[in-house]
Amino acid sequence: MAVVLAGLIHVVAVLTLPLLAPRDAHARLSALGPANTIIQLPALKPGQQVMPNMAPDVRYAMCLFDLTEGPVHLRANIPDELWLIAFYTPIGENFYTVIGADMKRGNVDLVVTTKDQSVADATSDSPEALENLLVVNSPSSKGIALIRAPLAGPSRSFEAERALQKSYCGQQPAAATAPTPAAPPATPAPSGL
Amino acid sequence: MPLSGTQTHTSLWRDEGGTSMRALGYFIGAFAVALLLGIGSAWYMIERGSILTTTRIGPWTSWLSEGNPNADPYTRAHLARSGRLPLTSTAARYFMASTDSSGSHLSPQCEYRISGAPLNARWWSLALYDSNGSIIPNPSNRYSFNSEEAIRRSDGSYEIHLSRTARPGNWLPSGTDPYRNLRLLLRVYGPRVTDASGIGQIPAENLPKIERLRCE
Repeated sequence: MAVVLAGLIHVVAVLTLPLLAPRDAHARLSALGPANTIIQLPALKPGQQVMPNMAPDVRYAMCLFDLTEGPVHLRANIPDELWLIAFYTPIGENFYTVIGADMKRGNVDLVVTTKDQSVADATSDSPEALENLLVVNSPSSKGIALIRAPLAGPSRSFEAERALQKSYCGQQPAAATAPTPAAPPATPAPSGL
Repeated sequence: MPLSGTQTHTSLWRDEGGTSMRALGYFIGAFAVALLLGIGSAWYMIERGSILTTTRIGPWTSWLSEGNPNADPYTRAHLARSGRLPLTSTAARYFMASTDSSGSHLSPQCEYRISGAPLNARWWSLALYDSNGSIIPNPSNRYSFNSEEAIRRSDGSYEIHLSRTARPGNWLPSGTDPYRNLRLLLRVYGPRVTDASGIGQIPAENLPKIERLRCE
């Protein structure tokens, strides 16, 4: 009888943990800035590390997307085949990835929506805009988009950071945006958070 | 025979002395054991992994479905606790080592030779962390080696020396604290060989060997 009860406790513990985890990725990254903006993650330094096990030889930019007010657009110009744009639920499940190596063109124009949101509402009126737009359906109304620029060599850090700074995340569709400066690098939470 | 059984049964419940207290004690004890077993086993499978979720190849541990949207509950719980954002296992694979190839814990008091060969993937990086997943401060500001920059032999193989004191060639500093717990993380982006579900595969013989050379 104790074993059956143990089994039950075990199942409940395993299933409820993701709901209760206080320091999942979304919780840690929320400390860095508001939703629906591109935030550059500073290059790793001891004492300055936002998430455990981040790669020291990858440069990262992220956007905490929040779809409650509507779809969110993400635009980037992928400079090489190493880049990856990955989309996550708040606990870190990677439900969609744009793989630079598979792209024919460098420009990525995508919109993140919930399954109830319509893409037509999210774009400007021009049909050409819709043609090149990639629609990403998010299983949750909040999540994380993480752009990875793996360094193709030790001296490529500066150019990777510059390319990351040109990305956009927000509610403006492509035709409506004037070139906007990217958000400045955020001060990360201290390591061990 | 049922008569005597019934009599014993009723006497148990009628007895207001030691027997019912013992029964209560039994139930509390059983519940405590169940709690320990249930939560303990859950913790173990979430923290360390089990055959359901994790492969172990020599010193390397890898969660098969880390980051996958349809992962099993243990992998999801492990992911939520870790605070990490791994790429799904069709896009990347992650291998973690806390011991050398003979099974002894990695220590800054020892010196190791990590030998590897080219991996059939787009890019890889081998990085050193402590047990919290933080990079280790060192005067060279060197925390990892990757496929683009590791100094190699003409056949593409490489050696990385993991030690406290500087070594020529690829030197990965293990920091000044002799008691720090070390973790090596090999991340492999774009593995070109996959299994039937598209999960990236790195054959066991291609994973780096971690050989302990000497200790202080």
